[in-house]
Amino acid sequence: MNTPIIEGRGLTRSFAMPAGVVTALGEVSIRVDAVDYVAITGPSGCGKSTLLHILGCVDQASAGSLAFEGREVGALTESERSRIRLTRIGFVFQRFFLLPMLTAWENVELPQAEAGSTKADRRARTGELLDYVGLTDRRDHRPAQLSGGEMQRVAIARALANRPALLLADEPTGELDEETGAQIATLFDRVHRDGTAIVVVTHNPAVAARAGRHLVMKSGRVIST
Amino acid sequence: MTAWGLAWRTIARSPARSMLAVAGVTVIGALLFNMLLLSRGLLVSFRDLIDAAGFDIRIIAAQGSLVHREPIADAASLADAVARLPEVQRLTLVRSDSAQLLVPGRAGPGFRVAVVGTTGAAAGSVWTIVRGSSLPSSAVPGEPTPLIVSPRIASELHLEPGSEVRLRLFVAGTASALPLVTARVVGVGAFAFEAAGDDTVATTIEGLAAARVAPADAAAEMVLVSSRPGAGKAAAAAIAALRPDLRVLSNDQVIEQFNENAFSYFRQISTVLSSMTLAFAFLLIATLLTMSVNQRLGEVAALRALGFPRRRIAANLLWESALLVGVGGAAAIPVGGLLAIVLDRILRQMPGVPTRLHFFVFEPRTLVLHAALLGATGVLAALYPIWLATRLPIAATLRREILS
Amino acid sequence: MNRIHARAFAAAFLVALTVPAVTTPAAAELPAILVSRQLAEREHLRAGDVVILATNADGSGQRRFRIDGRYEPTPDPVRFTARRLEARMHLPDLVAMTTDPADPSSAEAITAINVRLANPGDVARFSTAMVAQAPGIAVRPTVRARDGSDPFAVLERFHVAVAVVTVLGSTAFLLALMVMRAEERRETIGIIRLIGVSQRTILMEVLVEGLLIAAAGAVFGILLAVATQGAVNQFFQWRYDTALVFVRVTRSIALQSIAVSVPLGILAGLVGSWTLLRRDVLALLGR
Repeated sequence: MNTPIIEGRGLTRSFAMPAGVVTALGEVSIRVDAVDYVAITGPSGCGKSTLLHILGCVDQASAGSLAFEGREVGALTESERSRIRLTRIGFVFQRFFLLPMLTAWENVELPQAEAGSTKADRRARTGELLDYVGLTDRRDHRPAQLSGGEMQRVAIARALANRPALLLADEPTGELDEETGAQIATLFDRVHRDGTAIVVVTHNPAVAARAGRHLVMKSGRVIST
Repeated sequence: MTAWGLAWRTIARSPARSMLAVAGVTVIGALLFNMLLLSRGLLVSFRDLIDAAGFDIRIIAAQGSLVHREPIADAASLADAVARLPEVQRLTLVRSDSAQLLVPGRAGPGFRVAVVGTTGAAAGSVWTIVRGSSLPSSAVPGEPTPLIVSPRIASELHLEPGSEVRLRLFVAGTASALPLVTARVVGVGAFAFEAAGDDTVATTIEGLAAARVAPADAAAEMVLVSSRPGAGKAAAAAIAALRPDLRVLSNDQVIEQFNENAFSYFRQISTVLSSMTLAFAFLLIATLLTMSVNQRLGEVAALRALGFPRRRIAANLLWESALLVGVGGAAAIPVGGLLAIVLDRILRQMPGVPTRLHFFVFEPRTLVLHAALLGATGVLAALYPIWLATRLPIAATLRREILS
Repeated sequence: MNRIHARAFAAAFLVALTVPAVTTPAAAELPAILVSRQLAEREHLRAGDVVILATNADGSGQRRFRIDGRYEPTPDPVRFTARRLEARMHLPDLVAMTTDPADPSSAEAITAINVRLANPGDVARFSTAMVAQAPGIAVRPTVRARDGSDPFAVLERFHVAVAVVTVLGSTAFLLALMVMRAEERRETIGIIRLIGVSQRTILMEVLVEGLLIAAAGAVFGILLAVATQGAVNQFFQWRYDTALVFVRVTRSIALQSIAVSVPLGILAGLVGSWTLLRRDVLALLGR
């Protein structure tokens, strides 16, 4: 059997609040293989983003185990987890989080430089990605000069910069209109077809419909798949 | 993109804020530079002044001080004995008084002057001839008392070599009525230790005695000695052995005394103000960087989520601090130089400060110290913002940024 | 004219010997002196000790005295770096020690006379009269107007110059901080403007905020200065072994600080928020 990209068992995440302990995630188990395109839906506050952050090694579960490509994440150092996020996982956020003082080109190039890619490789890869997302002619524009959809496409190109095995997207169409959201959804299809596993948290039924698997969450638990 | 490249972009993204921050560092850096100059300025300047006088040993009476000198007993025989020492190259006796200087035929109370009486070897060291000639090596009987006057006196009273003046000495502490003595200006000389507003004239020891209507007993309050090259310590030891009742001071000892007494206040002030300046710079840079980080928490969390390690985030912030402090610190040097001129001019208005003495003197080591202190401050100031940025909870920050 | 005291710090003081402090009839008959605190601490002297003072380094011209107590020398700002190793004695005792038998006039020579006038306003008239009666003396009031070359006037100018530079530097930083604060609130101000709040109201808000921050900063600064003046004074008093006060935050200085910092703070707030006040609503919202 192929090693899953990510496998979580009994994942629990609790937060200590002034009013008491809040369990955002309650014993969730999930497996994502290399060919998977998973959509996670549910009402606000059900723990979707919390699950995504744990899968992306951005947050750590209070209980349970998580393995990324067979490696136990809980046993890794922060430095090792950073390295996984940089080279094996791509993140797309609802609010894009592009660096405002860099151009589209520079935003996409930045993670490659951090990963140690050569200048020639970075140039080739960045050009390829901007072409991939249809923004070659906007390469020298700063985020303030781009529309919401364009910014999200740059963010997707950035997430793919180091050829990750897994793309995690947290409400990628949350700030976009319906038409632009559909464009982003189409782009995700293409990314998936080209071999990248995707886990997307979304409220958008159109995006969720394109996924091969659908997890529905409620009150911190997966209620249907 | 390198860490410093990203830091530069971050700073350049808010040009107004960054320019103001750099301006602040420039001004504070200039003040720090000045305080570092002040910490040793008097010492360096005084050393230059003392060394330029050409003598390396000073002999004074045990009582009194370098500034308020008592007469040396048997100064003439002391001079003879010291001159015979093989380690000694030349010497001069010095005695000072104050007098009233009048120009014949001109109305008015005349000039109050300090009169320095020396033996011939003082030329070229206690004063530098600007025009005319120096004092004769010995007095010529019947001739008017030879006089060197300062350029200011020469200018105010229109004196030239050959001009005749009258001199009446004052005797401190008593009402005296010494006669006017005729003197002839033989030269105009710049006096190394003359303070602004002071007026100094020089004559021979015999001339001074004549003005006191006293025998030429070569009385002196200080003996200046120039030792042969490399024989300074031996000369001082030999002189001390000759006259244990006197104080024999090398230039280093003179400087040390002044450093300990007269200059120490400025050293302390410079230390206090330097410390306060650095604390100020630290506080302000730390506040600026912290506010900057707080404004960019979302970006920082996103970078961390994308896999940028903590050390990279820390490096970015360090470079931001370094750029602000580096650019501001470099600009602080020329600004500090101009400020030093202004502050030096203020402090030199103090009474009794020789015109050639400066409070702020440039030394290359000051640049190094300035850079090191500012650099250390920049690093320290970045520590808290770095801690904030590297320790932020990524998921919680992302969530908060999305909801805000 | 008050009782005349002569301070005995003439040329060659030498405390040669201390006789054990036993109040013997002989000791009680000795003339009394007071020693400065610094001298007492350095030589471990106490009241009742008998000491020998000599006018020459070789010990000649010595006399025995009984220490009656110690005193704190009046701090002299001009001589604060000098170590105050001194003693006070009655004038006849000093004259008896220092008179040159060959010079009858030396028995009547003193260095200074301190005078307290019945009417302090008479200083000028008194000075003129004294100089007229005794040419060659210098008469100086203890309180005199500082001219430009007075060392303390020069130091004051120096410190004012340093203060001006510090204010310039801190103004630059303050402006930078205010610009940052304005940037932070750009969107908030845009929303406020969008819902109809006038520019005038926002200007008033900025002014009031600037005033409160500046006033709080000024008060805090003064409190910090008051708190640290003790430390600065203690340091310098320890360093120079003196009772001189080096730093004093007076009411006048506090008021001057407030008068400078509060308007600066308000101005910085205004300048920092200028772009917010001038930009249109959509620009503020980034649309």
